[in-house]
Amino acid sequence: MSNVLEIRNLTKKFGDFIAVDNMSLAVREGEIFGFLGANGAGKSTTINMISSLLRSTKGEIDLLGKNIAKNAKFAKSNIGVVPQDLAIYEDMTAYENVSFFAGLYGLRGEQLKERTVEALEFVGLGDKHKAYPKNFSGGMKRRLNIACAIAHRPKLIIMDEPTVGIDPQSRNYILNSVRKLNDMGCTIIYTSHYMEEVEEICTRIAIVDHGKIIAEGTKEQLKAIITDTKDIWIGIKSEDEIKVESLKQIPGVATVRIEDQMVMINSKAEVNNLNQIIQQLIRDRAEIRSVEEQAPNLETVFLTLTGRNLRD
Amino acid sequence: MNEILWLVRKTLRSTFRKKSSWLVFIGLPLIGVLVSMLLYGSFNGQPLRVGIVNADGDQALTQDAIQFIQGLDQVKITLMDDETLRSDIAAGKLDTGIRFGAGFGESLGAGRPADVQVLSVKGASVTAYVKAMLNDYLGNVASIAQSVQGDKAAFDRLYEAYRQSSFKVSAETLEDTSHVKDMTYQSLGFLIAFMMFSSVNLTELILKEKENRTFLRLLSSPVSARTYVLSNVLVNLFVIVIQIVATLFFMKNVFHIDSGIPTGELITVLLLFGLAAISLSLLIVAFAKTTASAGALSNLIVTPTCLLAGCYFPMDIMPDAVKRISNFLPQHWLLDTVNKLQHGEAFGSLYLNLAILLAFAAAFALIAIYRFGRNNDTRLFV
Repeated sequence: MSNVLEIRNLTKKFGDFIAVDNMSLAVREGEIFGFLGANGAGKSTTINMISSLLRSTKGEIDLLGKNIAKNAKFAKSNIGVVPQDLAIYEDMTAYENVSFFAGLYGLRGEQLKERTVEALEFVGLGDKHKAYPKNFSGGMKRRLNIACAIAHRPKLIIMDEPTVGIDPQSRNYILNSVRKLNDMGCTIIYTSHYMEEVEEICTRIAIVDHGKIIAEGTKEQLKAIITDTKDIWIGIKSEDEIKVESLKQIPGVATVRIEDQMVMINSKAEVNNLNQIIQQLIRDRAEIRSVEEQAPNLETVFLTLTGRNLRD
Repeated sequence: MNEILWLVRKTLRSTFRKKSSWLVFIGLPLIGVLVSMLLYGSFNGQPLRVGIVNADGDQALTQDAIQFIQGLDQVKITLMDDETLRSDIAAGKLDTGIRFGAGFGESLGAGRPADVQVLSVKGASVTAYVKAMLNDYLGNVASIAQSVQGDKAAFDRLYEAYRQSSFKVSAETLEDTSHVKDMTYQSLGFLIAFMMFSSVNLTELILKEKENRTFLRLLSSPVSARTYVLSNVLVNLFVIVIQIVATLFFMKNVFHIDSGIPTGELITVLLLFGLAAISLSLLIVAFAKTTASAGALSNLIVTPTCLLAGCYFPMDIMPDAVKRISNFLPQHWLLDTVNKLQHGEAFGSLYLNLAILLAFAAAFALIAIYRFGRNNDTRLFV
């Protein structure tokens, strides 16, 4: 498979602050490429440079074998950007929104009409083409946001958090749409705070931290990086009694997180410390409801590699 | 070019889809013309309203004097008593009042006419005409009386001959174009202010696009920031042309105000100013980060400068210091050009004024471009 996108030694500085630090990356044709990173990791800056919204301080980006700095119009014509923030006109109908943005890519006449209708049908808004977005639900607006980016049939679609703040039904619809677009031959770069989404749809993933890619590969390859660890999930009645520092003192324990009446401990795989952990919780007068030992997931991988949660 | 037209079309469609835009961009300049008409429209050669008190009863000479005043062109008399005269003058219902005292006719017949009281609150400019004509008439009658030396029959004969004389004083009204010039000046003053405000409104769309995040989507398409700004300038120009043409059309054909300047020359000068207004609005938008701050900045700049340059009040009433400050404002140079054209100066001789207007447009645009170019924030840059 050839590379749709190739980034070499990409650097972006804002004054003394290095937002992207000598990053190199390749996205292959037909991939759904997950781009993971906490806030401020450098994801958006990288995406802005790929979309020609920002100039790099150093390094090169090639799209379909052409340097985007030298062929900005070609690059822009072959990329569709679904921004994290809704970028639609509230005072224009759904049809007018899609038609206007598609027109910016040179589509006119019958072709423009066909592609507009096609994009609206694709995101399930075909019957709402005359409606104004101000009357749409959050999910419908997100879908329109996607339709505006795909009507010109780009080779590469960049989706920046396309499912933020929407209901599960719309979220499923969007995830299915991403898969369908991929089946139709589009290469997709997908960023999300929802690890399970990335795990579900991405064929390859890069983890970004402090402007650098610290790990890259399929989800299996990433999980394999931390085969020496295990996750212990313990259900409790109340979080108040738990002393995190005491748990961290137990041999083998790497990280401790408490969320929704669940103590999530990442520990070295070879250390048998489950008894000690339970005894500590009993000493803390915690009422234990369940105990489960899991193989590491992407969330654990991210936490282990970056030392912080994706939502931090 | 296709991209620019596509953007222009979209901006015009979404702007003029709102009914309020028609009022703001087209209606307000016309309301400005209407306001100017109301302010200056009263100076249109109405007859002089004269109230007369006759305390001399049926005396023939007094009656004749009253008839003489009645016969003057552009004078409308009303007979009344003393009290009504005073109250009507005070209320502005009369321009002037004349009182013939008891015994006036007799004194006139004796060649020594008693004083006639002429009252007015509007001053000599209003009373001068009637006073001059009446003095002339009474002087002639008194001269006849003095020449006959008390011979009543001779007086009656000569006086009758004087009354029947074929020559007659007549007054012609010359058209006073000063108020039309004032009206034109003021209408254009309002048009300038509305052109500047609407230009800022339209340029603010750049900031609105940034706030709505559609700006980044536009820039991620093959449209460049330069193309986008150029499309905004074209929309601005289009609206300004419509404003100018609509205002001048209504001034000439509906309100019948003749500016005294050839239409082509007036449109050219206004368009030159329009360029300066667009550049200024780009400057405001380049320095403002939000639509709210752009709105505040435009209020801070447009309203006071229009006031200082004489858009809302005639420049003549401004103190010298303000007149000197207004030299640094583009509005002043437009109004100065209009004024000079109205006073018959040739368009070609006003090249300095035109060059100054163009220089304002260029200076504002260059600063705006410099400022836009230094924006390195994806949320703000153009």
